[in-house]
Amino acid sequence: MLETDKLTKKFKDTVAVNNVSLELKKGESVGLLGPNGAGKSTAIAMISTLLKPSSGDVRLHGKSVLKEPGDMRRVLGVVPQKIALYEELSAYENLKFFGRLYGLSGNKLEQRIDYVLDLVGLADRKKELVKHYSGGMQRRVNLAAAMMHEPEVLIMDEPTVGIDPQSRNHLLETIRRLNHEEGMTVLYTSHYMEEVEKLCDRVYIMDHGKVIAEGTKEELKAILSDQETVWIEFDQSYPELFKKLSEIEGVQHTDAEERSLKLIIPKGMRLLASLFHEAERHGAQVTNVHVQTPTLEDVFLRLTGRTLRD
Amino acid sequence: MKAVFLLQWRRFYRQPLLVLAMFGLTVIFVSVSAAGGQDEPAIVPVYTESMEQEQALDWVERLNSEQQFTFEWMPEPEARSYVAEGDVPQAVELMETDYRLLVGREDPARLALDSLLRRVYSEELRLEDAAQEVPDIRELMDSALSDPALEISAGSLQGNGDGDELQLLFGMTLFFVIYTIMFSLVRIVDEKRTGTWNRMIMSPVRKWQMYFGHLGFSFLIGFSQIALIFLLFWYAFGFELGDRFWLLIVIAACYTFAIVALGLLIISLISKPQQLSAVIPIVATGMAMVGGAFWPIELVTNEILLAAAKALPITYGLEALTSVAVYGNGLQSVMMPLAMLLGFGGICMAIAIRLLEWRSAS
Ligand SMILES: Nc1ncnc2c1ncn2[C@@H]1O[C@H](COP(=O)(O)OP(=O)(O)O)[C@@H](O)[C@H]1O
Ligand SMILES: [Mg+2]
Repeated sequence: MLETDKLTKKFKDTVAVNNVSLELKKGESVGLLGPNGAGKSTAIAMISTLLKPSSGDVRLHGKSVLKEPGDMRRVLGVVPQKIALYEELSAYENLKFFGRLYGLSGNKLEQRIDYVLDLVGLADRKKELVKHYSGGMQRRVNLAAAMMHEPEVLIMDEPTVGIDPQSRNHLLETIRRLNHEEGMTVLYTSHYMEEVEKLCDRVYIMDHGKVIAEGTKEELKAILSDQETVWIEFDQSYPELFKKLSEIEGVQHTDAEERSLKLIIPKGMRLLASLFHEAERHGAQVTNVHVQTPTLEDVFLRLTGRTLRD
Repeated sequence: MKAVFLLQWRRFYRQPLLVLAMFGLTVIFVSVSAAGGQDEPAIVPVYTESMEQEQALDWVERLNSEQQFTFEWMPEPEARSYVAEGDVPQAVELMETDYRLLVGREDPARLALDSLLRRVYSEELRLEDAAQEVPDIRELMDSALSDPALEISAGSLQGNGDGDELQLLFGMTLFFVIYTIMFSLVRIVDEKRTGTWNRMIMSPVRKWQMYFGHLGFSFLIGFSQIALIFLLFWYAFGFELGDRFWLLIVIAACYTFAIVALGLLIISLISKPQQLSAVIPIVATGMAMVGGAFWPIELVTNEILLAAAKALPITYGLEALTSVAVYGNGLQSVMMPLAMLLGFGGICMAIAIRLLEWRSAS
């Protein structure tokens, strides 16, 4: 129902979004995964008619929305990356205003407010001022505000950044329910691959303004079907050893953390012998070794040589 | 548009402090300064070396009839010691055709004292001259004054005390309301920063509706502030606002419109909230100083400042209000300042809308 066609946005010296073509089918839950600065927010701003593309098109039901943004604005609910609320007002007052923007009034408005407050689990605290809420609760109101007008498509721009685990789970669960039980079409943006893995049927992976891979989760992981991820933990940090290990012939990608190292290697490669050998030489103690099935994070690492966190 | 407009009242209800502060400051400034102005006039010792005591007392009576200072005749040594001890800043020595000031220390009232003495002396001397030719000129004058063919009610600059008070009231009201209006417009900039502006753009509400919701609120809050202050001083403080209150309200509306438009122009030029909170006070105080809100514009002689004043809405607002309330003029005589206010507002608004649209398009 919604698609972008070679969407491109150039700022003065950067191409923030470069020939991005996305498609959302009705009832689908689509993830847009990419590290900070990949161009996700810019793409969303163009889809939601905030920003004019340098080139390319955005279509709703096959009709371009660039000249006539009205239709798009009515069916779209956008949860911005930043919390965009009147913090000196209560949650109830905020929702009332955003409902009115879409022409709701009277009983209908009140019912809808009750419904979305219930949805995000804030019904009993609706009279409190937004500025007195925790970050997680503000994020939930941020979502509720985008739900006031019963949007057909919900676009979320990193809705879980900087919130406590409990609010995060609540939010993810809410989104999953909206998608599964109410058939709402969802475009979910994040740089946390676990969230996208959990929520989304299909995933677009963006980096440096471009879509570098797309498909269902299974399709994407098949990119790594001839590879394995080995995760090794040591008793402490050994930068030199880590360097040595990443230089072992056959190792394709590495991602080092404080005391652990992740290696992507071809399936069937006999790594462990050389691992323990090198560890002994550096006087290092291996505390844990784990051979994983690949995650989307690994896919990204494989495709770009970097992690999503970078 | 209605939703945006109503929201601003909701926000005002939640955070009324700034507007109330501006309202309160106006009331405090005007009532305190007006009360201060009613102090007993300062005492000025008067002595003479060359005149008869009787003649000197006539002079003192004549001077005291101006009611600006309390002149008190005393022997010279006494007057000198008052000045020497610093009890009074100055004393006056009266002479036949001239006077002299005995100065002890600096005093801001000296200018006024000097000009009062000069005026009274030159009047008296002219009358004396005339009396050489028409011996009963004084009687003629008195009878003419008690039955004037043409009464001039407009006081001079220091004229009647009411004029002073009204100048103060109008000046302070028009000055403080600039803050109320402009800071309420800063909300537009704030919304752009927090992202609620984008949320509105993503809704079916049109951009002009968003602007007009905000402008409508700013206009109404500013206008209400002026109107309420006028009513308060009229009823509670007994200020004589003339018999055309409705016309004052019309002037207030035109002035508010001009300031709202100017505010919009400013936020279209400056988009950072911190910069705005520096620029707005500068604009407000600058305009008020040059435009005559702090002291009567008649006191200003600098050509450049006078020319600058002609470009400021506050000048025309004050001119119109004074003309109606102090001099009792009607709509006809304030057409020009009202047209200037509306024209000024229209031009600012047009430029601002151009700039805002241009910026959001890029
Ligand atoms: N208004 C803008 N002007 C100039 N550059 C911008 C602007 N907005 C975003 N960018 C740049 O575009 C790139 C993509 O940004 P963004 O879309 O916010 O990425 P993401 O949301 O994936 O983190 C970044 O390099 C960013 O600096
Ligand atoms: Mg972003």
